This record gives sequence, C-alpha cells and structure tokens, in this order.
Amino acid sequence: MAEKLDKYTLNNGLVLLGEPLRQVASVAFGFMIPSGVARLPEGCCGCCNVISDWIFRGAGNKNSRQLSDALDSLGLHRAGSVNSSHISIGAALEASNLSQALDLYADIILRHSLLPDQFQLAKQLAIDAVRALDDDPRQKVMLKLREQFYPNPLGRSTAGDIDQLKSLTAQKTKKIITHNFNLSHTIFCVAGKYDFDIVVEQMKNLFETDNQLPVKQIHTGEKTGNYTHIENEGAQVHIGLMTKTVTLADKDYYNARVAVSVLSGGMSARLFTEVREKRGLCYAIGARYHGLKEAAGIMCYAGTTPDKAQETLDVIKDEFKRLSHDISEDEIQRAKVGLKASLILSSESTSSRAAGIATDYYMLGKVRTLDEIKDNIEQTTVDSVLDYLRRNIFEDFTVVTVGPKKVKV
Amino acid sequence: MEFKKQILSNGLSVIGEINNSAKSAAVGFFVKTGSRDECKEINGVSHFLEHMLFKGTEKLSALQVNEAFDKTGAQFNAFTSEEMTVFYAAVLPEYLIQVTQLWAEIMKPSLRIEDFDIEKNVIKEEIAMYKDMPNFDVIDRCRKLHFDSHPCGNSVLGTDESITNLTALQMRGYFANRYAPNNMTVAVAGNFQWDKFISTIDADCSKWKTQDAPRIIQDHSGNKKIERIEKANLSREHICLMSPAVSAQDPGRFASSVLAAIIGDSVGSQFFWELVDKALAEIALMQFVAMDGTGLFCSYISCSSENTPKVLDIVKNVFDNLKSSGVTEKELQTAKNKILSALVIKNELPMGRLADLGFNWLYLKQYRHIDDDINSIKSVNQKDIHNLIEQYDSGEFTQLSLGPKK
Repeated sequence: MAEKLDKYTLNNGLVLLGEPLRQVASVAFGFMIPSGVARLPEGCCGCCNVISDWIFRGAGNKNSRQLSDALDSLGLHRAGSVNSSHISIGAALEASNLSQALDLYADIILRHSLLPDQFQLAKQLAIDAVRALDDDPRQKVMLKLREQFYPNPLGRSTAGDIDQLKSLTAQKTKKIITHNFNLSHTIFCVAGKYDFDIVVEQMKNLFETDNQLPVKQIHTGEKTGNYTHIENEGAQVHIGLMTKTVTLADKDYYNARVAVSVLSGGMSARLFTEVREKRGLCYAIGARYHGLKEAAGIMCYAGTTPDKAQETLDVIKDEFKRLSHDISEDEIQRAKVGLKASLILSSESTSSRAAGIATDYYMLGKVRTLDEIKDNIEQTTVDSVLDYLRRNIFEDFTVVTVGPKKVKV
Repeated sequence: MEFKKQILSNGLSVIGEINNSAKSAAVGFFVKTGSRDECKEINGVSHFLEHMLFKGTEKLSALQVNEAFDKTGAQFNAFTSEEMTVFYAAVLPEYLIQVTQLWAEIMKPSLRIEDFDIEKNVIKEEIAMYKDMPNFDVIDRCRKLHFDSHPCGNSVLGTDESITNLTALQMRGYFANRYAPNNMTVAVAGNFQWDKFISTIDADCSKWKTQDAPRIIQDHSGNKKIERIEKANLSREHICLMSPAVSAQDPGRFASSVLAAIIGDSVGSQFFWELVDKALAEIALMQFVAMDGTGLFCSYISCSSENTPKVLDIVKNVFDNLKSSGVTEKELQTAKNKILSALVIKNELPMGRLADLGFNWLYLKQYRHIDDDINSIKSVNQKDIHNLIEQYDSGEFTQLSLGPKK
C-alpha cells in the first residue's frame, strides 16, 4: 500500500522494494527469507527459532559478541519473526546508519559462522521458549489453534516441539539453512528516509549473483483437528476459535475484512458489545483476520473464568453465525471508516510500512497503493458483504481451549 | 514543531505540539490519579472508574459512546497505572475535534448502578486474566512487597475482594475528588489547528469545578525482603527484583535509563550476555521506572527452577561488579545510542509524541522538545552513572519469585 514504490530486482531474483516516507529521520528495513516453518522437513519443528538465533551468533569476521556490539553501536532496534513461509529479520534505525547495518546483515545472511557450541545455546533457548509457553496460556492457545486450523504443514507451531528440538543437530540445521536461505526468493524492503539508488548499488555489491534457484513449494495435507482442550489449573479458560475465510488475493477479500470489522473492529462491534458490554463475560475478547498466501481464517480469542466459558463460546459462535442474517448501513460505515483510518495511521511508521510492502509483494506479486486499498474498502456495501457472507457461511469452527475446564463445541 | 499552552481559569492545563507534516493527530486526557491515590477500602477504584467512563453520560448510553468513537475511525483506549489515568486517541486530523468533544463529554460520567454491576464482572475477569500472566503477576506482587504500606505498593487492579466490596457511591466520591480540572492535563500532538482545539476545550471544559486533589509524595527505600510463592500450574521460575532509584522529577532520570539499558536491555546488555546468551534464562530484563517523588529499578527474569540458584548468583555478581568496576565507556555509548534511536523512532508518530508531552507536563509542568531529551541522554557521562551506582545500590533489592512446587 505504498504511495510511491521503489523497486529493483537483482540478477539472482532478489527483489528490492522501497517506500520513501517524508518527514522522518529513521529508516526501517527487512529481509523476508523463504525459510518459514511450513518449509521445514518433517521432524524439525522449532528449527526456525534456532536458525534465527544461531545466525546472529557470529558472522563475517566477527564473533557473536563483536557482531552484537556492532549492531548495538548503530543504535538499531532489531525486529525478527518467524511465520509459516518466512523468517523475517530487520531493524529500525537512524537513517544515516543504514549502509553500515546492511553490511552487517549481509554477513548475517550470507556469512554466518554457525559454530557448534553456539548451536547448543540457540537450541537450549528454543527449548526453554517452548517450555515457557506453559506459563503463557493465551499464546499457547493461539499457536495450537493455528496448528489445528490450517492444513498441515501451514499451521505448524512457530515455537516448535520439544522432542523434535531435542533431536535437532547442528549438521541438520546447517543443511536447512543452506537449502532455505534462497536469495532468489528473498524479498528486501526499506521504508522511511533513504536514497534508493545508493541502496540498490550497495545491495548489488552485497547480494547479487547470477544464480537463480527455485524455491521449495509447500504441499498441504489435511487439517489436523476440530477441538482440543489442554488442561491447565489456571484462573481462566482461554478460548481460541477460528473459521475459514478468503485470502488476500481473493476478489472477496475486502468484503471479508469489512465483515470482520463489523464483528470485532471497534468497541461498538458485535463481539465486544454482546460478550463484554451486555453480558460481562470477558475482559479480553476479539477477532481478527489472519491470512497466509494459501489459506486464511478469522481468528477469535476470549479469556474467561471457568463457569462462564461455555456461555462465552456459545455467544461467540452465535455472533459469527448471525452475521450473515443482517448488517446495518451504520455498522458498515463504522467498519469502513475504521479500516481506512488504521490504514493511514499505520502508514506513518517506517517499520509497519517496510513489513507491509514486503508482505503485499509476497502475497500478491505486487504492492497495493494506498488509494487502491481505500477504493476497494469504499466499494464494499451492505449487500456485497452480506452476499459474501451468505456464500461463505461460518459453520465449521476449529476450537482450542487451555484451562481448568472443557467446553462443549 | 510549535508548542502551545493555555491554563484555563479552573486550572485545566491544555498543551499542544504542532507538526503539520504529520498525517494524524493524537489527543489525550491525562488525569493525575491512580492506585497510589487510593486507600485500602477502595483499592482498584481508579482502574474500575477508567472503565466506567466509557459507560456513558446523561446524554449518551455506553453503546452510543462506543459507536461515536468508532464513527471517527479513532484508535483509542485508556490505561490506569499507579500514577495516572490516561484516555487517548490517534485520529485523522479531520476527526480530532469530534474525538476531543467526546472525551470531554465522557469526563462527566453518569456512573449508573446497572452499568457498574455488569462492569464489575469485567474487572474481575481482568484480574483473573492477569493471574494467568505470571510475568505481570510477579511484578505486581513484588511492588506490594517492596513498597509495603507506601501507597505506591497498591495494586492497580485491586483484588477480587476489594472490587466485590466496592460501591458505586464510593466510586462517585472518588471521581468527584480526583477528576478535577486542576488535576488534569489535556495534550494534543501532530497535525491540528490550535485555535480550533483550544476553543473546543474552552467550550466543553471551562465549567468544570476546581477541587483540592492532593497526593502523598514520599520517597521509599524498599524493604528488601525475599519471598517465593508456589503455584502448581507454573513451569518456569519468574523472578522480580526491585531496588530504589531516582524519581520522575530528578535530573538523574536520564542516567538511570542508560544504566538500566546497560544492565538489562533485551539484547547486548550485561544480563543478556551473562544469562540469555548462555541459555541460563530465556528472559532477563531491567528497567528504570520513574514515579512521582520516587523511583525503581525493576528486573524480571524467567528461567528454569534448576537454573535459579546459578542465575541469582550471576545477578549478584553483575551488581557487585557494577559497584567495584562501574561501567565502560563503550557500554555507555552503546546504551545511549539504543535509547536515542528508540526515542527518535517513537516520537515520529503523534501518538508517541503525545505520551512524552503529557508525562512531562504531569511530572514537571514543563514542555520539553524532543531535542531537549536527546541532549539530556547525550550528555550522560560515566561520572553520572558512577554517582548513581554509589547512591543507589541495585544489589540491595526486594525479591519476589513465582514458581512451580518444589
């Protein structure tokens, strides 16, 4: 959703995207590397977290400490994430330090040291992070929900599996890195204050080769479950619910986004009003759109004390089902205004713009303009949203609960 | 950037910083009241009241309030801390006046009994939610232990018991005393027209009545107790350490932020290299918490129960070394760079700017341009840090742990 988009493709296929933002002193950049959890071989769940840590533990002519100090001395704020398709690494920083930061990231991506002793530490931290999920039921419920909702391997846990992590070796992990760190399908993005010609020149020097390599396709299998309960003697039952919707590339995408906003866009939206305001069942209640390239869902979370859990789930499901019956003009207008405003507000942040253009490019093969998105939102109507909802009835729900009590689904 | 200020005759401070190149504006009502201004009987009332403000006025029902906000597309919310209650919104410039009028309207809540009773359930659910977040729970409990009977130890949420017993009448009394214009600041940042803004505030808020709204200000050195609480469903050890630090008014607050980053930033700090990099703890952070008249260094560590003794030994070494050897020039520069870039990035958004604008006014009654803060961070030197270490021994801490049964 760029206002002005810079684009250049290196000989090896690495795509460089940029969105200049006026009046900022900072710049954000990122690399989307096609090494997400769905691209892992069987039996390596959690490996992406080990990789994201290990590649920072020494690169180029610097050991772990020297590399970290070099990054810190540029004052950069690192950002990293793992999803189904990619490992993303990048940072936000003061614009004048961009060039030095890119040199360091080229080392991290291309010339990582991958020392065996550092592997053991990265692996131990990944295992501990999975164990720590037991103390974070909200996060745990959402990870399990995605795992059960998406056809395997799209929903694989980004945190990982303890047994699979334990059996992971440095050699195996190295092989995965060599295979999946494929520059031909890596997307580089930059947003904020930068000079694109200078960035292109530097990126050519750092990353350009003549090799074009194919990327491993993700083959999807079956969805793995409908309801799972994980026992935990905590204070609340944490409920995750997900149902199918259309992907970003679908012609109904904007109808779906407006529908989700009617359901849970603001404080006057239906879930908040019915579950929290009228019945006082929850503090935390909300639904949001969650999309991958291959599949998408509407993802809902609610946390409530055990004796209210069943009623909470029932009200949520009723609201999903009721949505296709009737929507008022006012509700659609509020949803549209909210979506447009959040679009413009997020366009002020260099980090969110950098991530936005890269995601668009991966999902659609192009970057949407701000006006294009606004127009598409504007074109939705009560009839178009209802028509979409009636063609895509919410009837199949995947549910996960974590807490002291099960629910009837 | 242009700063604007007007104090209404009833004492309401109105401040603004104009940035015409921004795409949005952010507005906030900062009320200088929080859990530290509560007595035991009404503990949790500030936060409960924050919820109740969204429940409507004589003119508007709760649903109408929510609809009115959503019609503007505002990203809005409120939060309550020990120190203050803040209502804020980021919005496209054309909706700023509408949203400001709405905030001004809901500052006169009806506090209807039927809304109060339903919202009580929501508050209890929020209390239950945080019980399932040990990283939050341990800090809340440690604060209570550290501050003991000092009001800064009061829990923001209150307890199941205090909320159950709270009456609408008590809340009305608290509201009448604390939500006084002379105890509030309205701040605005980003793309807006000052004349229009101030005339809106003047029209909607100038009749609010001045009240005496005192606050007990007292420094506190903490009681340095050590406690551990067992919870059967936990799998990790959650450790919180608190020790005294300078207040939000003290010029040493900049050096304190730098020191906290040297010791406990999420990457590249002493805790990071000694604990996280070595895979002894998955999280080890230290923050400086500036408060009205007092302050804290607060550390949070999450690790396995087996590693806990070793982790605590290392923490002790870090603090001992700090006393004996101080910090290096390189550590100082790195921490300053990180803080400076975070400051610049945050302040590029009107919402980020609003927060600093409001907090500075509440604590200092002072406008500070972003460059003032940048210069204050830049000027922190080793001597400042070493004076701080001498004055405040981080090794003398209150410690509370939450962990599984042994």
